[in-house]
Amino acid sequence: MKCTYGFAVTMVFILASGAVALGQAPKKAAVAGEDAAATIAIMDHIWLNAAHNSDTGTLEWLFADDFVEIHPGGFIVNKREQIDQIKDPQLTRNELHPDEIQVRYVSPDVAVLTDVTTIRGMNGGVNYNGKQRVIRVFVKQHGRWRAAGAGIVPIQGQ
Amino acid sequence: MGRIQIGILVLLLALSPMAFGQTKSSAAPPPVVDWIALDHKWLDSEKNGDLDYLGKFFADSYVLVLPNGQSYTKKEWLAILRGAEKPTIQFLNPENIQVHNFGNVAILTDHTTIKGHDAKGNSLDGEFNVFRVVIKLDGMWKATGVVMNEDRTKK
Repeated sequence: MKCTYGFAVTMVFILASGAVALGQAPKKAAVAGEDAAATIAIMDHIWLNAAHNSDTGTLEWLFADDFVEIHPGGFIVNKREQIDQIKDPQLTRNELHPDEIQVRYVSPDVAVLTDVTTIRGMNGGVNYNGKQRVIRVFVKQHGRWRAAGAGIVPIQGQ
Repeated sequence: MGRIQIGILVLLLALSPMAFGQTKSSAAPPPVVDWIALDHKWLDSEKNGDLDYLGKFFADSYVLVLPNGQSYTKKEWLAILRGAEKPTIQFLNPENIQVHNFGNVAILTDHTTIKGHDAKGNSLDGEFNVFRVVIKLDGMWKATGVVMNEDRTKK
């Protein structure tokens, strides 16, 4: 009987401890020391390098599923349409790079930046030579940053 | 203590971790956001000069990019709306509002019609396709970016 009581007390302690442990709220994983603004600036370069090189694999990886972009002239495209345009063999991009990157807002899972993107090339017979003012939006999904969208406007006179 | 009583006690305690491990069922679902109302309220406030609302609705990070590529910060744009050079807007209406919600940020696209003129009487009339970015700050949705493009999709 003494042995049985001792066993029961041990079980009570173990199970009570288990209850406390299971009752704890899951802690959100934090990325220690991440400089999100610097990461986002690098993502901007990755985005435009991939577009410049028609690297659709990188763009598939980078763009969120619900990605949206608005082009000069007000043309709105989703992820599939944007990637299809970039891999169009008629598209030529002699130059495509961002300058004046400013991270306007950053939180643990959202970042918004502006840049001035220089484009020299043709897309569907349309000349895209010049500087464009761009807002780019990034979101962190499943632990990694992805591009959510961009709005692009030509800067007149440049 | 009888063996049956001990057995019952062990069984009860064995089941208790499952109860503790359950997620809260009483947590309220996030409120449904009426994005169309938010977009209309935003543009109505611009049209009617409701600067108190806009001052609160624009995040400090707000940036507006006009169709000519000119950009303004929150401080710069509100100063224009307050000043003598503010535009006169007679009609400002968003249509075909599409929402891309990513949790703490949402991108709205819409087709906005503007009728009005600037302080010198130059027409501001036009049809625009607009990219709007709103972020959730302290539980409130706030505007952080706008890109306006003249709509040439039908031309």
